[in-house]
Formats: sequence, C-alpha cells, structure tokens
Amino acid sequence: MVQWYHSIITKLIIAFIILILVIAGLSVLYTFGATKEALKETTRDELVALASVIATQIDGDSLKALQPGDEESPTFLRIRDQLYAIESSSPEILYVYTMKQSNDGIAFVVDAEYGISEDAAGIGDIYETPTEEMKTGFQVPVAEHEYTTDQWGTVISGYAPVKNAAGEVTGIVGVDMSATRVIERQDFIGTIIYLIMLIGIGITAVIIGLISMTMIRDIRSLNDSAEKISTGDINVLVTVERNDEIGELANSFSRMVSSLKIMMMDDKP
Amino acid sequence: MSDVSEKVLAVTVQELGPASKRFLERQTKYHMNGLEFDNLTKDHIPELAKWVGISAQLIVGEKKAALLAEMIKKIS
Repeated sequence: MVQWYHSIITKLIIAFIILILVIAGLSVLYTFGATKEALKETTRDELVALASVIATQIDGDSLKALQPGDEESPTFLRIRDQLYAIESSSPEILYVYTMKQSNDGIAFVVDAEYGISEDAAGIGDIYETPTEEMKTGFQVPVAEHEYTTDQWGTVISGYAPVKNAAGEVTGIVGVDMSATRVIERQDFIGTIIYLIMLIGIGITAVIIGLISMTMIRDIRSLNDSAEKISTGDINVLVTVERNDEIGELANSFSRMVSSLKIMMMDDKP
Repeated sequence: MSDVSEKVLAVTVQELGPASKRFLERQTKYHMNGLEFDNLTKDHIPELAKWVGISAQLIVGEKKAALLAEMIKKIS
C-alpha cells in the first residue's frame, strides 16, 4: 500500500493548490491594490463634492468679518449651526470647519463643534501643519492625497474655497473623514477577496480530489490484478473501462492477462 | 490462412491478445468437428461466434465475451 504522502492524489491536490495559490495570490494582490486605490479616489471625490456644496452655502462676507472673540455672535453661531447640521447628517463626516488666511498662516474661523466639543478650535487658532492641498483649497476644490494626522486624529480631508458676494475667496471649508472608516471599507473588501479565494481553493481541492480518486481506484484495481497474477492466480478479470490513458493501459493489460490465461489453460475445450 | 480466418483473428486479438490464435484453434478443433482454424469460411462464422461467446466468458467475463462474439458475427 502506497503511503498517503507518496500517493498521486496527494501530489495532484498539492500541485493544483500551489497553482491556484500562485494565480489567486497574484490576482488578489493586483485586485486588492487597485480596489484600495479606487476606494481612496472615490472618497476623495466625495470629499471634494461635499466641500464644494458646503462652500456655496456659507456667506463669504460674514466669514471674512468674523474676528477672534466673535464666538458668541449671531453670525458665528448661525454658521456653526449650519456646519454642525451638515456634520451630523452623515456618519461618514468627522469634522466640518472653515479657515482663512491670516498673517501667521492658516487659521480656523468657524468649527462646527465649537461650544459642543472641548477640543474644537476657536476663531484665529492657527493650524500648525498646513498641507499643500489645504493651501490649494483657497483656489480650487481639492482633497488630500494621503491621510493626515494631527491632534484631532488621522483623517482624509477635502477643501473648497468660500467666496463672498464679489466672488473673492475669503476662506475655505474643510471636511474631514475618519481614516478608520476608509480603512475599514478597504479591510472589508480585502476580507471578501480572501474569502472568495479560500472558497475557490476549497472547491477546487474537492473537485481534484474526486477526479483523482476515480483514477486511483482504477490504478489500484489494475495493481491488484497484477499482484494476483504475479502470485500465480490467473482467475482475475480486468474490469477497468475508461477512455483515457488509464483505459488504454487497462485494455493492454487485459489482453496480456487473457493470453496468459489461454496459455495456462489445460489443453481442453 | 483463409481471408475469413485472418479477419476473425484480427478481431479476436483486440480482446484476447497474442494467444488468440491458440484460443480460436481450440474452438474450431473441439466444437466444430475438428475444423482447422486456417480453413475457416463465411459459413462457419455463426457457429464459431457462438462458441467464442461461451468460452471467452472464462477469460474476459460475460460482457466482453458477448461483445467479441458480436464482432465475429459481423465478419463477412
């Protein structure tokens, strides 16, 4: 009896699983990479669109007029409530805020969570690490290419310019989406891809196993007949019927056995 | 060897291998009044097919023996 690790069925299954792993692995690597990039691109597009829409709803003249200490003014509270309503409308949005250029750099104006969250920024608070995309946001709607990490967490942000009645840019609106949510989406897609690959490998292994088993069964049957003949027992019948190479082997073997029987029979009818 | 004998041998070799002639000679000798296999004619075919069908069962089993007998019957 052949040991299982020397068996053709084991070798066939292992060979096919390796083949599938290589093909599926390469496909998954490519698909997952492309999907991640596409997902990020979609998120960026959503952020740009959202920031652009919010920017059209903010009065650029009022934004320009707000100065440090105006946090309790009706104008500030109106814009804050407006932004907070937008922020609360979607779980995808983490923060919404407005900013404008100051002598010291880029400063916050209205933070949607001012007076609601303790770590919200007040008017004139300087944003310490402005990115190139944030600066570009004063000209055209844009989104960050990579995640940014600051004191409020790791986010991906979109910006759009806020204009006054004269069409001049008076600030920007920024929309942050949590990196965790985007990464969760990517991980979900990754998990689905890996699951599909695992199920595919499982199904293939079962199919190969079943096909191999019929081959092994017939090879064993031929082997049993050969063993009997080798010990002098010619009372064997070759019952293997296949249309493949094993079938051809079985037919040749059957002819050989038949001739042996004829020659070993008594010279009687 | 007659033309019919050659055709019968060719068909039988496919099932019984190189010892087919010995098998066929035995059938004609013992079941067909000592007929020499080499002198087989078309008229002997039905009788030979019948005995091949019976005797070959011991060698290749019922199914293959019946198939071989049918193939011999078709020889003209």
